[in-house]
Amino acid sequence: MLDLRIPSGYFFAITGIVLMGLGILFPDARAPLTPLNVNLYAGGVMLLFGAILLLLARRKA
Amino acid sequence: MTLAPIDYAILALYFLFVLGIGWRLRARSSSSSDFLTGGHSLPVWITSLAFLAANLGAQEVIGMAASGAKYGIMTSHFYWIGAVPAMLFIGVFMMPFYYGSRARSVPEYLRLRFDEKTRGLNALTFAVMTIFSSGISMYALGILFEAVLGWSFTASVLLSATIVLIYTYLGGLTSAIYNEVLQFFLIVLGFAPLAAMAVYKAGGWGGLQQRLPPVMTHSWKYLGDAHQNPMGVEIFGLVAGLGFVLSFGYWCTDFLVVQRAMAANSMAAARRTPVMAAFPKMIMPFIVIVPGLAAVALANMSTGYSIPTKGDGLDYDKVLTSLMAQFYPSGMLGVGLTALMASFMSGMAGNVTAFNTVFTYDIYQSYIRKNAPDSHYLQVGRLTTFAGIALSIGAAYLAQSFNNIMDLLQLVFSFVNAPLFATFLLGMFWKRTTGHGAFAGLLSGTTTAAITHGLTIAEGKGGWIAPAFSFPSTMAQNFRIAICAWSACFLVTVVVSLATKAHPEESLHGLVYSLTKKISEEGVPFWKRPLPLAGIVIVLLVMLNVVFR
Repeated sequence: MLDLRIPSGYFFAITGIVLMGLGILFPDARAPLTPLNVNLYAGGVMLLFGAILLLLARRKA
Repeated sequence: MTLAPIDYAILALYFLFVLGIGWRLRARSSSSSDFLTGGHSLPVWITSLAFLAANLGAQEVIGMAASGAKYGIMTSHFYWIGAVPAMLFIGVFMMPFYYGSRARSVPEYLRLRFDEKTRGLNALTFAVMTIFSSGISMYALGILFEAVLGWSFTASVLLSATIVLIYTYLGGLTSAIYNEVLQFFLIVLGFAPLAAMAVYKAGGWGGLQQRLPPVMTHSWKYLGDAHQNPMGVEIFGLVAGLGFVLSFGYWCTDFLVVQRAMAANSMAAARRTPVMAAFPKMIMPFIVIVPGLAAVALANMSTGYSIPTKGDGLDYDKVLTSLMAQFYPSGMLGVGLTALMASFMSGMAGNVTAFNTVFTYDIYQSYIRKNAPDSHYLQVGRLTTFAGIALSIGAAYLAQSFNNIMDLLQLVFSFVNAPLFATFLLGMFWKRTTGHGAFAGLLSGTTTAAITHGLTIAEGKGGWIAPAFSFPSTMAQNFRIAICAWSACFLVTVVVSLATKAHPEESLHGLVYSLTKKISEEGVPFWKRPLPLAGIVIVLLVMLNVVFR
């Protein structure tokens, strides 16, 4: 049966890469109440989470 | 709030994955049992996250942030006194009978344990309630997206309903559960950064304590007197009404959540499902409630942020989305809104799949057409997916046009639900309980609830018989109604059971505690046994309650 970690892993990895890309290309895109580059950091966390899911799925297979 | 093309692209990517999961699982619907029960084949990490997510609808996410802004950290009682103890109880004590009886649904358990009429009553009320709660949550999302994004009500309702329809139709319960897990991850990753940034901006927990009235940062301190806290509840009503009757009634008997645990691949996994789910459930208040507190603190600072308004009053339901607009730039904003959409879809798919199973097995197979080949029931299950979603959409429009009808319906549902846990408790732990007793108990519990509502008044609600008592809030009133309904059901069930003929003992094996073989856990490591795990949860729970007392 389909290992759920694979599609979930890809989803978060892709979303993470997209967000990090936005954070790098448009570092000045900030929300009103925070000085942080939210896209860059949140994207990094998502990419990491996706990568961990994919790694776990690979190790088992 | 305006979305950029990239935000729409993220939403579209999510839809693509959700549909893809449904497509890959389409082979999982070759028999009615695969389609409607998941074929008892799912690993415990998946069932426990789905157990959480099925309940984590949009209303829950939006509503908890709203309550956080309105009542403060007291809202966490819904988790720390409400949900978590009940989740431990069902895992440790009740799951052996649900899973072990091989019943395919909660109403079917009631037929095995009691009789046909008790099952019929539960199946019918459950089916109707599921459709309406699915519709009400669809309505909640529709009006929110209309107000915040300017999307048309019809567009957001139809779009999300169509996607849920496709993936549930393709892969049945397994597909719904898989997507619930993805939705759960997305809800956490989409909302946690918001909670962290909003609290940080407000000066951390210390800053919140400084900027908010003390009653908002203490969950127990002001519970001695109902007039001292904004919820208007006191300790007995809260612990007995919410903590015991309502929470156990929902988490231990509602097929929507129980179905997730019953889909697990073994008895051990089924029992661990709610217990494992209790760990993330304990943390959820920090993601869904605390942003509400932070919003109030930010509104008190000179940040330019203020709580959204509607007419003359504050519109707490928009707190979450208004915070997103303040902290998320385009990109992350898309993720946040996708998470909101995901929470909504997981709640809806939960309702639809539970409705499917109960309708197909407990209504259609029991009363309309018995003894048909399995392929016939598979077909009925699939068609029920369409019917369930169409009816939910109808209910959403009904809610849009007649708000009062919905309030009334929700009130009636609460009357029906309040006594349920007494029936299950007696049924599972007292072998003398009979079908007549259970049925009479349920009816008198519901009647008592209605009468209590008629005799009490709060915020202008109730008192339609004679307003003999008044409560400072409808929440306090609801808790008391639940306590009365539960007690009436308990008493009547006991009395009628003793007056009627007992079920023969051999028909109750695997259904009642004293007639079921104890599960041997020899050689199972402690971290795979429900009882020690539940012990760890209780220790953490006490610590949380002490820290935020």
